[in-house]
Amino acid sequence: MTHKRLIDLLWLLLVALTLAGSYLGETTKPGLAITLIIALTVAIKGRIIVDHFMELKTANRMIRNLMRAYFYVLPLVIVLTTLFGDWLARLTTL
Amino acid sequence: MLLTATRSEQDPAEGRIPGNKGIWAGILSEMTEFALLFGVYFIARAHFPEDFRAGPLQLSLFAGTLNTILMISGSYFVANAVIAMRQNRPEISLRWLILVLLAACGYFVTKYFEFRWNVGHGVTGRTGIFFTVYYYLTFTHMVHVLWGIMGLLWVMARTKTGAYSPQDHEGMEAFASYWHATDLVWLIIFPLLYLLH
Repeated sequence: MTHKRLIDLLWLLLVALTLAGSYLGETTKPGLAITLIIALTVAIKGRIIVDHFMELKTANRMIRNLMRAYFYVLPLVIVLTTLFGDWLARLTTL
Repeated sequence: MLLTATRSEQDPAEGRIPGNKGIWAGILSEMTEFALLFGVYFIARAHFPEDFRAGPLQLSLFAGTLNTILMISGSYFVANAVIAMRQNRPEISLRWLILVLLAACGYFVTKYFEFRWNVGHGVTGRTGIFFTVYYYLTFTHMVHVLWGIMGLLWVMARTKTGAYSPQDHEGMEAFASYWHATDLVWLIIFPLLYLLH
């Protein structure tokens, strides 16, 4: 598959994930399951952009790892703050 | 940066830096700036869970979704502009860049109507902590899109005057990387403000 064909398909996937996310956000009740789905979607979308749109999949290792790490750490923080919000609030109270 | 015609449809060379080192210093600074702002979001969320549960329900999910699609599409258009330049098709590349500009303008038009809708529903930066964070994050992102538009206009002018070639279009790649980074930031802002209840 050419690079051009691949990003055509990934664009459609990103749009589909966005619409599905909005549908879920509007129709489902808040909870850990929906938070996990949202965090996973952020990770997948980020990885697609970083690897294929930014073309970092085969690029300089340090830049690739820093950009990829952002989309491991942030989805994890989304889940952890949902699970341990009280703990974070106590930790950050002056 | 050197890409031969035979590599035009292939993945870029192993270990290369898209654009140049300077743009990556800027992009990583931007990502760090937003990491700090996201830190503020999570701390505020931990302290005021009820505000952050109710806040997204008062925003326009339609506007947020539309802006996400516009940002993703802008990213897709600029990736196509780079591909067209590598294929030595500058006119096609310029057409893709015009689509990037239209997506960016669409983003600002959507934001304008969203903010107007917010004010019409009594939502301002002083409505509560969630909305303070919402306006701070979205305004900061808008500023970065504005920088991107300035870069885009420069890259469009350079493309129009034939400054880029399949062998040398470092400036276009640097802009593309920045635009993708601004898209990435929005892909985080969107679920944090509009989806997570």
